[in-house]
Amino acid sequence: MNTLLHVEALTKAYGSEVAVDHVSFSLNKNTSTALIGPNGAGKTTTLSMLAGLLKQTTGMIALDGVLAADIRKEIGFLPQYPQFYSWLTALEFTEMTAKLSGVDAKLAKQEAIKTLEFVGLSSVLNKKTGTFSGGMRQRLGLAQAIVHKPALLLLDEPVSALDPIGRREIMNLLKKLQATTTILYSTHILNDAEEMTDQLLFLRKGQLVEQGSLKEVRKKFENPMYKMYFQDSEEAAQFVEASPWPARQEGSIAFIHIEDAKPAMNEVLLELANSHLQVLKVERASASLEEIFLQVVNNV
Amino acid sequence: MTNFSVLFQKEWRENVRNFKILWIPLVFLLIGITEPLMNYYLPQILGAVGNMPDGAVFQLPEFTPEQILMTTIGQYQIIGMLVVTLGFAGIIARERKNGTATLLYVRPISYFSYVSSKLFIMSIIVIGSVILGILASLYYTYILFGAVDASSFIGFLGTYIVWLLFVISIVLFSSAVFSTGIASAVSLLLVIFAQLIDGLLGTYWTISPYKLPMYAGYVLTGSADVTPFVWSLVVTILVSVVLIIGAVFFAKRNVAKAKI
Repeated sequence: MNTLLHVEALTKAYGSEVAVDHVSFSLNKNTSTALIGPNGAGKTTTLSMLAGLLKQTTGMIALDGVLAADIRKEIGFLPQYPQFYSWLTALEFTEMTAKLSGVDAKLAKQEAIKTLEFVGLSSVLNKKTGTFSGGMRQRLGLAQAIVHKPALLLLDEPVSALDPIGRREIMNLLKKLQATTTILYSTHILNDAEEMTDQLLFLRKGQLVEQGSLKEVRKKFENPMYKMYFQDSEEAAQFVEASPWPARQEGSIAFIHIEDAKPAMNEVLLELANSHLQVLKVERASASLEEIFLQVVNNV
Repeated sequence: MTNFSVLFQKEWRENVRNFKILWIPLVFLLIGITEPLMNYYLPQILGAVGNMPDGAVFQLPEFTPEQILMTTIGQYQIIGMLVVTLGFAGIIARERKNGTATLLYVRPISYFSYVSSKLFIMSIIVIGSVILGILASLYYTYILFGAVDASSFIGFLGTYIVWLLFVISIVLFSSAVFSTGIASAVSLLLVIFAQLIDGLLGTYWTISPYKLPMYAGYVLTGSADVTPFVWSLVVTILVSVVLIIGAVFFAKRNVAKAKI
């Protein structure tokens, strides 16, 4: 079996309010999965249940095919806003978390130092965590989540609170981890998901509304089209009128939808060449992940 | 149980670095020294600052050393217990509220070890402080008022330590169940307010944890009535154990309340 985590009909209800509603999915070993959804979709609740912080109302979580009562040993969890004991140093904290997660006491310090080096905190090992900046806190949060080499790494919005540089650095660290760890992370930043994802899970109001590989989801929703940029909207209108294919216009841009690879690009170009219109640019475009996201989340 | 030593080390570091390990003993030490000194020098103090008319004579009671030690305990019962309840009401609730506990709770820790680590650090600080304070009080009492019987003193101290364990269990339990603010209120109610109630209405019963400090005084003067004293000890210890088990139960149950 190549499956690491299997989740079946996971549900969390607070009274009559259902935060997570019969969510089922599986994660294969050493793959990365992005949990995507708007705020309040149940991403954090789902991750908290997987991390053992919340008890599910109904449903099943199985790790490595085994029904585990305490799967916390094999899990690393990074909350969205990790909080640290401000009076501990980075090394003391990471060493403590390593020991609590079952790393041998003799090796814990060594492992903590190695992990802190990996996340780029080797210069502040003995600084109190209370003095850390947002980026450093996120690195430390990552360090405590991976110091015991968990099989499954759960990350709640790992990069949302960071500036572009910090985001890039954390993404690079995660990419390095990808080879040896199964990663499930929530995000609403689609560029990140695009960069490091084998599987996408779309959550909306607690329900899993769409799932599949990036390629599959793309294919389903990409809605390919040609975009032609004209000098002004009049020319675009003229083109739309004369076009042998169904076309539409938005300002100075005209669109032709592609279905089953038709029409071909050269046919369109030929048409344009014959039209004597002032065309500035022609491109084949498809919906960005962000547009797909909006489509999935709003229209399903 | 290896978890325990790791968690205890964390508690130790916290209380060293926030100076609780320093200021709480200082409070008890100061009270312990002040009581015998105040009582001994009261006539002189009154004479110096009291603005007394000439010839006024005060007949101050002659205190026995045992009475002086009991006035120290009297101070501990209000000021000391206030420090203990308010100082530790957040011991579990606060780290749940500010989210630091989340990174503990996602690990395979035993909640028994978790609560035990808190129980141990509280016991060390509180019982240590009280022993320190009472020994200081004993020293000045010995110099200024005279000696007390050594074995009675040990019995007295032991009895008072059982009372302290009861207070610690109340605070720990409240902190496991409630948020910091409510935990403070509940512990104040159960430690300080309940003492007053027991003092007002307590003539109707003899077995009560709240009578232990008083019985400790009887032990010191050798006038303790054995049956209610022993039963009070037994009841207090039982209630404390139940509270600690309850704290473990609620610490685990309230994991979901930790800020994520």
